[in-house]
Amino acid sequence: MKRDAGFVLSAIFLIVIFVLVAFGSLIAPYSATEFSPSSSLLPPQFPFIFGTDEFGRDVFSRILSGASFTLLPALAAAALGVSLGTITGLVAGYLGGRGDEIIMRLMDVLLSFPALILAMLIVVMLGGNVVNVVLAIGVVFWPRSARLVRSAAMDIALSEFIDAARARGESTLYILIRELLPNLWAFIIVDFALRCSYGILLTASLSYLGIGVHPPTPAWGLMVKDAQQYIQFAPWLVFFPCLAIALISICTVLFGEYIRRQLATPTRIARA
Amino acid sequence: MQAIELILRRVVLMIVILFAVSFLTFLIVHVLPGDVANAILGDLATPDQVELVRQRMGLNEPVLLRYWHWVTAFASGDFGMSLAYNTPIAPLVFERLANSVILALISLAVAVPISVALGVLAAMYQGSIIDRIITGTVVLFFALPEYVVALMLILIFSIWLGWLPGSSLIPPGGSVLANFPAIVLPVTVVTVGMLAYLSQVTRASMVAALRANYVRTADLKGLPGYIVVVKHALRNAMLPALVEIGLNFGYTLGGLVIVETVFSYAGIGQLLMMAVQSRDIPTIQAVVIVIAAAYGIGNLIADVISIALNPKLRT
Repeated sequence: MKRDAGFVLSAIFLIVIFVLVAFGSLIAPYSATEFSPSSSLLPPQFPFIFGTDEFGRDVFSRILSGASFTLLPALAAAALGVSLGTITGLVAGYLGGRGDEIIMRLMDVLLSFPALILAMLIVVMLGGNVVNVVLAIGVVFWPRSARLVRSAAMDIALSEFIDAARARGESTLYILIRELLPNLWAFIIVDFALRCSYGILLTASLSYLGIGVHPPTPAWGLMVKDAQQYIQFAPWLVFFPCLAIALISICTVLFGEYIRRQLATPTRIARA
Repeated sequence: MQAIELILRRVVLMIVILFAVSFLTFLIVHVLPGDVANAILGDLATPDQVELVRQRMGLNEPVLLRYWHWVTAFASGDFGMSLAYNTPIAPLVFERLANSVILALISLAVAVPISVALGVLAAMYQGSIIDRIITGTVVLFFALPEYVVALMLILIFSIWLGWLPGSSLIPPGGSVLANFPAIVLPVTVVTVGMLAYLSQVTRASMVAALRANYVRTADLKGLPGYIVVVKHALRNAMLPALVEIGLNFGYTLGGLVIVETVFSYAGIGQLLMMAVQSRDIPTIQAVVIVIAAAYGIGNLIADVISIALNPKLRT
């Protein structure tokens, strides 16, 4: 197993980030929401290393406390979307025929919306809160995961051990869960890793649009949105949350790429 | 004839999907637990106000009947009245759509040649340092949300250097092209987003093409390298790349929401954001469907191009 620098770096960053998600608001030196007008709009300096915002809140503390608002919904949405997609894809890929046709055409309808637009529509109509953000992004990921799992399941459904299971008289449910699913884990994990990085992009984009989160929540996208009006004379307010989002996105993408190379390539070679 | 039949089938399929999309949008808006009247009025509305809005919008009729009224009116170009602007929605949507299409087309015109060049270069020197730099940079930018790229560009080019305007507000009635400096930054952001995907697709299909036997033959019969690459490999590699470009066009229109919001560019995405902020449900509905239709048409064009260019389907 070859380890490249990108992987090691992104793994280290991800560990740091997970610590931040778990303990961010405890580590943060100042409150993320409390106003202190006497220290408003200070440029980066000690002890406010990332500066302060218009209400005198420490940007560094807000970024630490806000990590979970970007990451947890993204992870939950990826888990939801991949689970829905796995179930749908398994059933469609194994059953084939009419059932497959109906399921996949329904998935096509979901796929005809651009991802961000569908997520926006669902959150706006259901009401702006974190649970609905997770639901909406889960629904966006659903058809995409279903397609992937379906095509893998269709390949494996042709194998002899599936025929053997059928000949033994195993039930469809048994074949789906005990025979097909174990052979799909590599695909599902790779898909999950990819969805996590897209999930972070989508969550950060929704929060930048102010959909699903409300002030004074220190979600990074929302911080950028609110700071944009001060970009002329307080650029640090925009810069540091952007930097946080950029670091996280790049690390998850690198990490996902690495997992994909490790898991997907051997499978492909084995099948060829 | 085979090709024409295929294209016709795709057109019919797209119309069916558009109906399904309009129905789904309608369902999301009207059947999900959140009541439309409540969504419009906000949480502080009194029951009387809610009832009044329900009556004015015909919300007390059965769902299917309402869908039928709405979809037939929609198909004939009557998108209803905007609640926020109190004007018909259709002209508003199409004016904004035109602005978005201009932004997307200019970006495409910039992105396609650059990404084809990058993809071909990366494929020719596969595994070398050039390939790694190109692929690495492109993946890096792909990982960033559009608004992060956009705001960093604003910080550098409009605040520190002062070369370009940081917003793309175009005076009412003014044309986009007459305000060219205002759209340089938005075009750059959209282009960067496209580059990642397009150059990777070009690279992948070039790598496959360069391995093909006809390229080896061309090489062995002594043709100069650049002719082999451009006339033999690239021609065949362009087919999958073109399909991706078509797909990308629809995707870009959907992704414009962010870019247009950052730069206050008067496109369809910004209209959607304004409608969301003012709870203007009829406009939200109309914009979503128009964007989905544009997305579908982008996919259709991609299909038609790939059918037209596929020699196996020619008669």
